[in-house]
Amino acid sequence: MLTNRGRQVSNRFRFWPLVYFLCSMISISSFAVSLNSSIDEKDLDDPHTHWQEVERLGKNQEVYFYAWGSDAQINAYIQWAAEELKAKYNIQLVHVKLSDTSEAVSRVLAEKSANNHHLGSVDLIWINGANFATMSEHALLLKDWATKLPNFQLTDPLNNPTVNFDFGIPTNGMEAPWGQASFTFYFDSLAVKKPPKTLSDLFTWSQQNPGRFSYPKPPDYLGMSFLKYALVILHEQSNESIRAQLNQPTRSQNIKTMLEPLWQFLDELHPNLWRNGKHFMQSSAQMRRLVDDTELSLGFTFTSPEIPAAVDRYDLPRSIRSYAMADGSLSNTHFVAIPYNASHPHAAQVVANFLLSPEAQAHKQNPAIWGDKTVLVQSALTSEQRALFHSDNQHPSALPTNSIERTLSEPHPSWVAAIEQGWERRYGASR
Amino acid sequence: MALNSNAHQRNKVDFFSRITKFSPHFLLCILIVPVLGGLLSVLLPAFGWAPAMEQTTFGLHGFKALWQTPGLGQMVMLTITTGLVSTVLAFVITLLMLSAFFNSPWLNRIQRIFSPILVIPHAAAAIAVGFLIAPSGMISRLISPWLSSWELAPNGIFPHDSLGISIILGLTLKELPFLLLMALGVLAQPELGKKLKQQHQVALNLGYYPMTAFFKVVLPSLYPMLRLPILAVLVYASASVEMPLILGPNTPPTLAVAIMHWFQDVDLNLRIKASAGALLQLCLSGGLLALWLIAEKAISRLSHAPLTNGKRQYCDAIWNKVTILLTLLIIAFIGLALIGLILWSLAGFWRFPAPLPEHLVLLHFESAIAQMGNPLFNTLAVGVIATMFAVIVTLFCLEAEQLSAKPLSRFTSIIIYLPLVIPSIAFLFGLVWIQQLVHEQASFFNVVFVHLLFVLPYVFLSLASSYRRLDPRFARVAASLGTTPLNVFLQVKLPQLFAPILIAIALGLAISFGQYLPTLLAGGGRISTITTEAVTLANGASRRTSAVYAIIQMVLPLIGFMLAWILPKYFFKSAYK
Repeated sequence: MLTNRGRQVSNRFRFWPLVYFLCSMISISSFAVSLNSSIDEKDLDDPHTHWQEVERLGKNQEVYFYAWGSDAQINAYIQWAAEELKAKYNIQLVHVKLSDTSEAVSRVLAEKSANNHHLGSVDLIWINGANFATMSEHALLLKDWATKLPNFQLTDPLNNPTVNFDFGIPTNGMEAPWGQASFTFYFDSLAVKKPPKTLSDLFTWSQQNPGRFSYPKPPDYLGMSFLKYALVILHEQSNESIRAQLNQPTRSQNIKTMLEPLWQFLDELHPNLWRNGKHFMQSSAQMRRLVDDTELSLGFTFTSPEIPAAVDRYDLPRSIRSYAMADGSLSNTHFVAIPYNASHPHAAQVVANFLLSPEAQAHKQNPAIWGDKTVLVQSALTSEQRALFHSDNQHPSALPTNSIERTLSEPHPSWVAAIEQGWERRYGASR
Repeated sequence: MALNSNAHQRNKVDFFSRITKFSPHFLLCILIVPVLGGLLSVLLPAFGWAPAMEQTTFGLHGFKALWQTPGLGQMVMLTITTGLVSTVLAFVITLLMLSAFFNSPWLNRIQRIFSPILVIPHAAAAIAVGFLIAPSGMISRLISPWLSSWELAPNGIFPHDSLGISIILGLTLKELPFLLLMALGVLAQPELGKKLKQQHQVALNLGYYPMTAFFKVVLPSLYPMLRLPILAVLVYASASVEMPLILGPNTPPTLAVAIMHWFQDVDLNLRIKASAGALLQLCLSGGLLALWLIAEKAISRLSHAPLTNGKRQYCDAIWNKVTILLTLLIIAFIGLALIGLILWSLAGFWRFPAPLPEHLVLLHFESAIAQMGNPLFNTLAVGVIATMFAVIVTLFCLEAEQLSAKPLSRFTSIIIYLPLVIPSIAFLFGLVWIQQLVHEQASFFNVVFVHLLFVLPYVFLSLASSYRRLDPRFARVAASLGTTPLNVFLQVKLPQLFAPILIAIALGLAISFGQYLPTLLAGGGRISTITTEAVTLANGASRRTSAVYAIIQMVLPLIGFMLAWILPKYFFKSAYK
């Protein structure tokens, strides 16, 4: 099976030199034509020619990829991409491992204030949400390139708005989608017969099973995600105009009214949480351990592939099962972006295009590699490309394919700070 | 030619003597400057003066921010109770054990059981204790489900209980061996120890019960020698971060932990608040010291009458049984914690309430060791450099003492303990401010330098007594045969000190290996060691990985002590025959 797939891949790439040759012929001829005619302007607008030019300028360069680097699986995937890029374009992809993406944001900001407008140290950055909002607000990103990547069409952008909006903010071609994450749950099937499938189910379930559920203390990312999920669901019944406010920046007038349902819900939920909601776990990692300890029977994650991987390392019991909430899973797309002052913007675009290729996306989606959901839309792919994504023998603890019935979009990033401050004042005596 | 070599030799003599003579001043310098400089640079930002952040107006806004912190009162109470209660407990249990087993072979056996615990870093000890007392821990597994009918881990409060009981438990267990071994060290001093034992015997002959005899006869002479270690324990317990971080609550945490979080926050403005907090921490620890000294005075005044009332016993038989029970409990607790730790590091699937894992695997060791290279290298490199430097400086200082034939000034002797009796969290932040101003990039050097501050006092303590006990006649004979001071030092004194030097090195390494906060702060998070990794992983996703790191943390210093114990026997076989 594996060798078969390998052959398919290599078959596909047998065409590359040919395509390459054809393309360079076209670009040479168009260059020749442009010398004595006026067709050139039209020609440069031609996406194909444009991309030839980018590839030509991008080859043989270094790309400094600033990306969160605290996950061994993800680091290994980036390492794999680096090797592929080296072989295909002689591009040297250097992974600068960040513990927090905001470090890279402040670096670009500092470079801008120091008038370094062309030789920035960041070529490509892995980003979404609040960090993207900051960078786009300060005009720190290169514009109008992502939609011109040849592989971008495979995301079916016309029918798939998630690739053009980042937490509700239009991307304007400043970032290329890379993957999708969804907020999913897992439970201990020896302790729980029927896991709660909606937020209100979760509430009654926690009344019946006091102390078996909790969430990491904000500002932990996963803890915040749970609160955002609750906020979005609690506003499901609100009318359209109120719900729309979640997708816009907070205003001092609406914070109180919008968050009130969340605080009411938490006030009632907390007494039934682990440690009666008096003590919260410090991190999402600790939550997973408490599920292993059987102190908790229910947990959640934004990276569902980590669950079967943890079972394989004995860090979770074999009885763990993953599932998605029926009332919706908070989903977001993560992107790669190019700072406005990147030293190697063309090479960075070549890298972004490679990361979007069916080959790279399929490799990334493989649960054994990273398990990050692809942003490509199956209907936009050829049957050969689709075959790359096929994976058999599901791990019993893994999230069953197609279990996400409904996706919820993230509220505007400014709500994170509002929730965090309100939570701190109400439930956390200190950070 | 001969003249020339003589002149050369005299030069060399002068050089060596000059270096040794200078070394006590050097020692003072590397201890005073960072500690006092660090304190000063905490003081200034606390009052709003922080040029690094373009704040140069003095004001109280740091303290205002601190005052407005929600839960500050709880933090302060938690800090005081955990620090004070754990020290009192450790001290009282030490006294009970000493009194019950004084002059009995059991004292030596207990010493042998406890001494390895002394070198276990706080973080590893906290991890082991946490595993034991957690709702899914060994204790609860042993009574489930046959007794408790728990099929799932119960809804417990340990660790992270809001009263800090887990912290107190961890600190007490860790400080008890330290105080006990300090006391035994005092009793092992040839003259004092013999005198106290004789006096105890006299009291027994006069009909005093053993425990009463200890409290009435031995303790009054013993306590003054224990005062300094106790005060160091008190300061440490009130200001440490490892135990509260791993075992303590987080809504809110202890003051020291909160200060650490503020100082590390991305928002640099919080550093002003952190500095104000460090000052508050200093006051709290100082207040506790004052409280202890006042209590000490009061107790000594109140005990005048009972000491001389001639009463021969105070329910000694009961107290004796209580102490034996307590000792057994503590040993069982420690044993169970260690067994739990080892089991977790090897466990495959291990579902509650099974008392043993389903199967044992080496996977966790393999994957941890595969990722451990860099932290392990840092740990060893920092430890070796800091320890070697500390040993050399200490040896020079002690040699200077002997060459000039007068002991180090009282001032110097006090300064050596400075890093031990000033809460490290208070001066470390200031020191890091300075280090960032001087050379921000040299994080490795900074870490080594800060480790030196904590390694030096212990190395000095451990070497001083053996160096001062050296028989001066060997050196005199050698000198009278025309040997230069340098050669006397190298060829006569050092070989005699081979074993104590190795012990001092092992101790220095153990101290360096265990440092968490200094490594974290001075290295700016860029230098990771086994200890920083272990603390980070302690509340992480995998008990198994965390257990592996705790075990490595314990094994490293133990290897050092084993070598220090074995090497002299190997090199000086004849001397040990």
